[in-house]
Amino acid sequence: METSRDDFVIAIRSAFLKKGTQQRFSLLGLIFFSTILLILGNLNFKAVDYVKTAIEETVYRSSFIVSGPENLIKKNYLSIKSHFKLYDENLENKNKLENFKSKDLTKQILILENKRYKKLIDDYFIKDNEMYAKVLIDKQSPYLRSIVLNKGSKNNIKIGMAVLDNIYLVGKVVELNYLTSRVLLLPDINSKIPVSLQPGDIQAIMSGDGDKNGVLQYIKDRELKKHNTDILVLTSGTGGIFKSGIPIGKIKKRSSINNEAIIDFDIDFSQLKYVKVVSFMKEKKILDQSSKKATQEVNNQIEQVTKQKETLRILLEQKKISDEVRVKIEEDNNFLKNKTIKLENEKSKLKEELKEIKFETEQNKFLDLNLIYWKKCKKTFYNKLYIVGTAEYRDCIFKKGNKKTR
Amino acid sequence: MKDLYKNNLRGIIYKFLPISLLFFSVLNEFDFNNLGFKYFSFNFSYILIFYYNLKSKERLGHVSIFIAGLFNDTINGLPIGTSSLIYLLLCGAAAYLRNITLTPNLIKDWLFFFGTILVLNSLSYMILNFFFNFKISYSHEFANVMFTFLFYLFFSYFFNFFEKVFFGSNYAE
Repeated sequence: METSRDDFVIAIRSAFLKKGTQQRFSLLGLIFFSTILLILGNLNFKAVDYVKTAIEETVYRSSFIVSGPENLIKKNYLSIKSHFKLYDENLENKNKLENFKSKDLTKQILILENKRYKKLIDDYFIKDNEMYAKVLIDKQSPYLRSIVLNKGSKNNIKIGMAVLDNIYLVGKVVELNYLTSRVLLLPDINSKIPVSLQPGDIQAIMSGDGDKNGVLQYIKDRELKKHNTDILVLTSGTGGIFKSGIPIGKIKKRSSINNEAIIDFDIDFSQLKYVKVVSFMKEKKILDQSSKKATQEVNNQIEQVTKQKETLRILLEQKKISDEVRVKIEEDNNFLKNKTIKLENEKSKLKEELKEIKFETEQNKFLDLNLIYWKKCKKTFYNKLYIVGTAEYRDCIFKKGNKKTR
Repeated sequence: MKDLYKNNLRGIIYKFLPISLLFFSVLNEFDFNNLGFKYFSFNFSYILIFYYNLKSKERLGHVSIFIAGLFNDTINGLPIGTSSLIYLLLCGAAAYLRNITLTPNLIKDWLFFFGTILVLNSLSYMILNFFFNFKISYSHEFANVMFTFLFYLFFSYFFNFFEKVFFGSNYAE
């Protein structure tokens, strides 16, 4: 027993204290150093922060370079995939475009009205600071869903700023360096965003599931069961970090395991390349002359857009009526054409008949006159008149044998 | 063995291959530990560190592992020093196993590796959850341990084969 314990101690000592031929530090020394780093980091020790920032500045750039070839392969793969989907996507986009065109004007009115109402209740946020940043690192780990941007405190980025892809919320800045910053993405398990569910205006907190979706927390379950349609998830603006109404996603289905509402995000977090970092501030309350002017301008805009919508509606109605009239005229035209053709046919038939009758009448007249005047016209061996059946003979009969036509 | 560290290309590759692989896996943006399947992830760095500390400890310096840990923390946004501590403890466990082993056996190494990563992941979970208030999915963490454990066998064979093919049979063990 004694020997066994000795062996264990010797093995442990050898493993942790003995320096190898190529080793400069013992394992225990480095473990001790790591622990110190962790403890100081937990106590927010300034020197550790500086070390961390220095490492981050170097590592992010190095990682960007090391990942270059793989990113190129990934980009090409996605490009090929997108080419294969191009035709179907084009058809789908055409359909969508038609729908969006019709909805666009209504949306404009709603936006302007919304803006006016928000101004009235002093909840209107305007963009204070906005800039575009490139995604340096997109580490798709199941433990931490975050991206690193190429903008930092040098570019006036601050912790807590919202990060958007187009109009959709991506996450918020959680870590700041001089030249870079880290963004915690919405699917991360540590991300907590106050959201509003529409329709119904239900308030909740959204967290990530650590994978691709979001989950709702702190919500009364029965409120969601009332809705059978898709539920839109937007930022609620509670807490004042984000402005309200930034789109996040839709509630897709009910998870049967833990009965949590699963949110399907509007954007694909694996495809982020450039993002917009924004901060919002409240617009000053409408008190002065310029604000009144601004309100007046908004009202004018609403009026103008409403007029445009009305004009468009009238034009569409007119077009509809014109189309109907055109179709009717076309139908009439076709009917008349057919009728004309029919009449033409009848006319030509009648002409034929008339010609026939005329010929028959002439023939009858010839035969009648022939019975009377044939002697005056017929050629015999003692006169020099006309041979029967010739045109001259026929002419002579019609002239009752009076004149010699030659 | 001395011939290996001659300044020829083969010697340089032999010497720096494990450390390059470690830094590449740590710095790489595309995480090949995680292929996008739900719950599928494994820790390649654990496998690499444990394998080379067991088989050829001269080729993975402790300082390099420490620095790789710092880099990993930075890339993943973890508190600085967490990965370094775990990596170094893994080195210690491998060194202990090497010291007590007379006749190497892959299955024993494998099972020892499993026990070690279970303990180390628990430690990492505790540090992150209790001291730094990081929320970590327990199921993901457990799946990661299981897949890392399973993949150790595969990578162990692969590294053995690779070293035999490229550096000859003398260098593999």
